[in-house]
Amino acid sequence: MTGNSGNGGNSSGIRVASLDDIPEGEGIAISSKITGTEDDIAILRDDDGTCWALNDTCTHETASLAEGWVEDGDVECPLHSSRFNLKTGKVDGLPATVDTVPHRVEVRDGEIYLFPGERP
Amino acid sequence: MTVSSVVVVGGGIAGVSTVAELRKNGYAGELTLLTIDPFPYDRPPLSKDYLLGAKDLESIALQAPEWYSEQRIDLVPGLVVALDPAAGTVTLSDGLELSADRIVLATGGHSLWPDVERVVTERLDRPPAGLGIPRSTTGIHTLRSAEDADALRHVLLPGARLLVVGAGLIGAEVASTARKLGSEVVLVDPADPPIAAAVGTQVAAWLHSLHAVHGVEAVTATVEKLESTRAGVVAHIAGETEPRTFDAVLLAVGMAPDTAVAKAAGLEVDNGVVVDDHQVTTHPKVLAVGDCSRRRGHRRAEHWEAAVHDGQRAARTILGIDPPAETVHWFWTDRYGLHVEVVGEMRSPDGDHQTVVRGVVGEPPFSVFTLRGERVIGAVAVDDPNAVRAARRMIDRGVDVRASDLADPAKNLRSLLRG
Repeated sequence: MTGNSGNGGNSSGIRVASLDDIPEGEGIAISSKITGTEDDIAILRDDDGTCWALNDTCTHETASLAEGWVEDGDVECPLHSSRFNLKTGKVDGLPATVDTVPHRVEVRDGEIYLFPGERP
Repeated sequence: MTVSSVVVVGGGIAGVSTVAELRKNGYAGELTLLTIDPFPYDRPPLSKDYLLGAKDLESIALQAPEWYSEQRIDLVPGLVVALDPAAGTVTLSDGLELSADRIVLATGGHSLWPDVERVVTERLDRPPAGLGIPRSTTGIHTLRSAEDADALRHVLLPGARLLVVGAGLIGAEVASTARKLGSEVVLVDPADPPIAAAVGTQVAAWLHSLHAVHGVEAVTATVEKLESTRAGVVAHIAGETEPRTFDAVLLAVGMAPDTAVAKAAGLEVDNGVVVDDHQVTTHPKVLAVGDCSRRRGHRRAEHWEAAVHDGQRAARTILGIDPPAETVHWFWTDRYGLHVEVVGEMRSPDGDHQTVVRGVVGEPPFSVFTLRGERVIGAVAVDDPNAVRAARRMIDRGVDVRASDLADPAKNLRSLLRG
């Protein structure tokens, strides 16, 4: 589990983007300098409009999941198409074999708040 | 009849995908995975990061070691030498016989040898045994296994002279990796440009031109003769007056399916173990997946993802559940730091198609689409993988698109997909 020392357990989360900043089916990466976690965190918007957050680096090879294809509850890695479940971080498709880490996000008044290190 | 035991022969991606899909869908019976490898590992890195030395065998394992026990899969080392379909048995080289309700062949393939005259005049010096250095006796290599990659890596020293015969995906990837390791590379292929059928002529020509940019001498020719001598491998390249001497030669002219056991067992074999749309061979107890197999009426697919889908389909056939959705074929290749992805066909069989470029060929990221009427039938992307992901969905879902929209980088491909 990644730490959340950078935000000191901020109970209202870190405001990372407006919902309008992320088109459905796409994502953005939030730097670890902001999240205080080991890895950057990808904020991913499913094609149904919901928002999710996972560690950004694919567990298979170095690629940013924020640049992946988001659809039907999964994100597909831009490099070798490993698929991860948006909600749980579990591998839904090879070649990745190691699950990634999900983080909790909340949308309030059109703004996306991230809770690094908290399970969704 | 309920299936209560399955033996899968071969621990590549097709075999591992088969056993994974069986357990994922609730199969609770006996499950054995036979492999000739130390453990199942992923092969695409063998010409890239593994050959480079940036990854070791453990880091390219297809599954973590504990996965097999967690999934109650018996991972058994062994080479299958005989199959009896009616009895449902396989015999290993050490005489061990295993029986199962269903047998899945995932035996893969081996590298083809090009049509060259090969003469061993003197054996090359071999490193002494016991040093853990793979010992190539002829200086002529092929690349299918980690062992092959180990042997090749030991000769790819800075300044070593490598001849790569065949500039397809593996030949080009090895040329790129060998340059990174500081070796001198000559790449010979009679096609100009190579892989034009797979990626289209325009992209193929540009990709091939990158070899020269990165210091590889690309020669359009065939190799007529290879002689292994104490001084190295002497290669006679067609059209050249003087032979050239190399420290090592890689033959990368394609693969042939491993079908000997299936053939001896009386199964239909025709450029692969012939299977139906459910991966079943001509004997109902025996299925075949991946590189060793070919679906009747289809070309033999030699790609990683096709092998995954074969395994998933075979598992679902055994369990009597619906197959996964069909999807158009997809592959990737990496050379000189560029990530290339291809989906579908870049040419229609009758030539009735239109080529649409998004961006500028040669200035990544860019992509090229092949359209037949208003339907995408194929796409290639360099450093623009989501273009291929969009194209794949356009093809699978039969979405109509306009060429002018595809060509406009300002148009979001995902929105075109929504129609």
